[in-house]
Amino acid sequence: MEIVKKTSPHLRRPNARVVRMMRDVTIALMPLVVFAIINHGLNAVFILLAAVLSMVLTEYVYYQIQDLKAGNGFTFKNKHCTIYNFSVITSGLIYGLTLPDQTPITVVIIGGVVGVFLAKLIFGGMGQNIFNIAAFARVFVVLSFGAAVGYSQFVDANAGATALGILNRNIVDANVTNSYALMTMFTGIGLPGSLGETSAMLILVGGIYLLLRRSFDVVVPLTYIGTVFVLSCAVMISQGIGFWYPMTHLLSGGLIFGAVFMATDPITSPVTRPGRIYFAFGIGVITFFIRLFGNLPEGVVFAILIMNMFVPAIDYAKWSHQKFNLRRLSIFSVVIALTILITIVGVNYAG
Amino acid sequence: MISRAKKVSDYKELNTTLPVTRYVDPETIYINLTNNRCKTYELNVEKGDYIRVAQIIGERSGGFFKQPIYSTVSGTVGETVKKHDGTGVEAEFITVKNDFKDELCRNVVDRPDSVIDAFTQADFVNIVKEKSIIGLGGSGFPTYIKLDTKEKINTVVVNAVECEPYLTSDYRLIKDTPEPVIKGLIYAMKALNAPEGVIAIKKTKIPLIEVLERELKRFKEYNIRLAKLEDYYPQGWEIETFKNAVGITVPIGELPMKYGIIGFNVSTCAAIYEAVKHNMPVVKRHFTINGDAINFPQNYRVRVGTNVRDLIKLSDGYVDDAKQINFISGGPMMGVSMPTDDIVITPTTTSILVLKSTDYKEEPCVRCASCVYSCPAGLQPVQIMNAVKRNDKTALANLEAKNCIECGLCAYVCTSKIHVTDYVRQGKQLLG
Repeated sequence: MEIVKKTSPHLRRPNARVVRMMRDVTIALMPLVVFAIINHGLNAVFILLAAVLSMVLTEYVYYQIQDLKAGNGFTFKNKHCTIYNFSVITSGLIYGLTLPDQTPITVVIIGGVVGVFLAKLIFGGMGQNIFNIAAFARVFVVLSFGAAVGYSQFVDANAGATALGILNRNIVDANVTNSYALMTMFTGIGLPGSLGETSAMLILVGGIYLLLRRSFDVVVPLTYIGTVFVLSCAVMISQGIGFWYPMTHLLSGGLIFGAVFMATDPITSPVTRPGRIYFAFGIGVITFFIRLFGNLPEGVVFAILIMNMFVPAIDYAKWSHQKFNLRRLSIFSVVIALTILITIVGVNYAG
Repeated sequence: MISRAKKVSDYKELNTTLPVTRYVDPETIYINLTNNRCKTYELNVEKGDYIRVAQIIGERSGGFFKQPIYSTVSGTVGETVKKHDGTGVEAEFITVKNDFKDELCRNVVDRPDSVIDAFTQADFVNIVKEKSIIGLGGSGFPTYIKLDTKEKINTVVVNAVECEPYLTSDYRLIKDTPEPVIKGLIYAMKALNAPEGVIAIKKTKIPLIEVLERELKRFKEYNIRLAKLEDYYPQGWEIETFKNAVGITVPIGELPMKYGIIGFNVSTCAAIYEAVKHNMPVVKRHFTINGDAINFPQNYRVRVGTNVRDLIKLSDGYVDDAKQINFISGGPMMGVSMPTDDIVITPTTTSILVLKSTDYKEEPCVRCASCVYSCPAGLQPVQIMNAVKRNDKTALANLEAKNCIECGLCAYVCTSKIHVTDYVRQGKQLLG
């Protein structure tokens, strides 16, 4: 028996573990994985496997080389690998689920390798990355292999376009409701789109699980979805169109998926509650603007990456603060009002 | 887990129900001559002298105040030795061989109520100063300086929150003897001419609330109320207690007296009562021994000057399977880790915790921000940690690292088990 000196506190919260948090995200993704496999069969299995394995193996090889270079000798288990705390598996799964079902396996693998290497490993591994790994890999695939990535089935009058594709061509096209009923978009059954992004219902189930386990910060998805909802409502009112419009925006594309699983990645979000609200608000605005005025039908991953860049600025010690006060709140309200104004004016000119 | 720590598991179930054991007096009593606030002393007894309980045997002096040293036992004076006190610092103690007669010093006589009723603030201050009453919650700040305030005090708050896990000494003090606490509060109110008294207590401590409510019926002529506060950590932090019990937010770094409010610990209140009514210094105090590495956790009523080793023996020693233990004076969140178990109980030592030592495996920070959400002082511990790693003093100043109260919540909640509190402490040192 020996008395050891330590510094206070001498207690730790029992449930606070990185493994628990990351494992919860993986569990929350499981319904989507099952849904993707049921919908797309073996294609989904291969894409998801390729996405996860490419990331895991890249990381493994990287750390083995690092260890060998440091002269530590070869051991099969590598303690730096984040496979043990599910971090890299989570990234891989999210990346795989954002991919369309016809993505060639080679593209998936290249995206995974490049994504985990450029977005995570060269920054210093887990906890150091600036960009969301899954979003980075996804954007890399879109920009490099845009032509090879496509949706196959469910071809309709608009030739395989998603609801957002139609909306992007014509901001207020009522035709979209003819093609896709809102209920279909909610359940995601029989909808074209990426592997895991189509079923809003299952994503919300995962989100509720994460909320109950307190494994993500619910402020981020709420603000994000709320921002898009408010902005699309503003468009709805100014254009005098139906309620289907904001609902289509919410339920289509990767919005809910991105809000629940990608924007909430704690490593790439600010650390204060007001900061997280600004961050999610920024993602919401950028997503909506890309959808409305941009050249691309889908803006979630771009918006997340763009706001990731602003995290150090939001967290800058001079103005970051733990709580809102009256001054911060009033400035933020003015910003919200201005954003709504810009949206309405913009739609009138662009529409 | 990304959430605010509302509640810290408090492990008090066992000890709150256990009655207080009156500890058999030890053979040797150590009386502290120096402490962390007073570095020098003068003795007016010699080896071999016979001293009585509550006899003045010398005077210790700190930077701006002096306090008499009182004997807590009757017996023969022995050698001067160096031992650790409850703050983890080595201090000088004088040994007294107990003669078990408990002979009181002759000048210790009760004051009749009629005399006390006529007392002014100066009289109370003098008595408290003379009996060297200090903040018994652990601060050790001389109580007379607080009582001597020239500000207009509206509310006297008794802090009975005891939000640290494992600790139950204040709990048992109120449960067993609520009267001295309430009377001490009344004396403080009289001294400060304060119209209102508040006893701040956690609303989950229902047995205590029952006891206090019953007891307060006897003191209807005084305006004393119970403030039942939410059960969370650090509710017992003075600023948090004042905010929730009285509704006044005292900015960090300012004296609460400026805002017409003053706070005393439960044990301090009882000590004020003993000093004013019975003319006694702090001779005995409630003391908790708890933790998962001790065989029989227990509350004791001990003579000040008892060696903790005697109490450990009485609690049946350490559990067998504990290879490494942490020996903590105070609570698990803010307590000081001791290098040895050879510690002498001074008036400010509230408890000893014996915990099995756990080494937590640190993982990289995932910026989950639980520490930011939890910090009661409104800081951003993770940002402070990063600034310390970069040695960035400008950022540390902007992040107001100096406001940290070292409550330990940031390390408690940390998802990656990083010792964030230590980094923040370093940050405070960097700022100087």
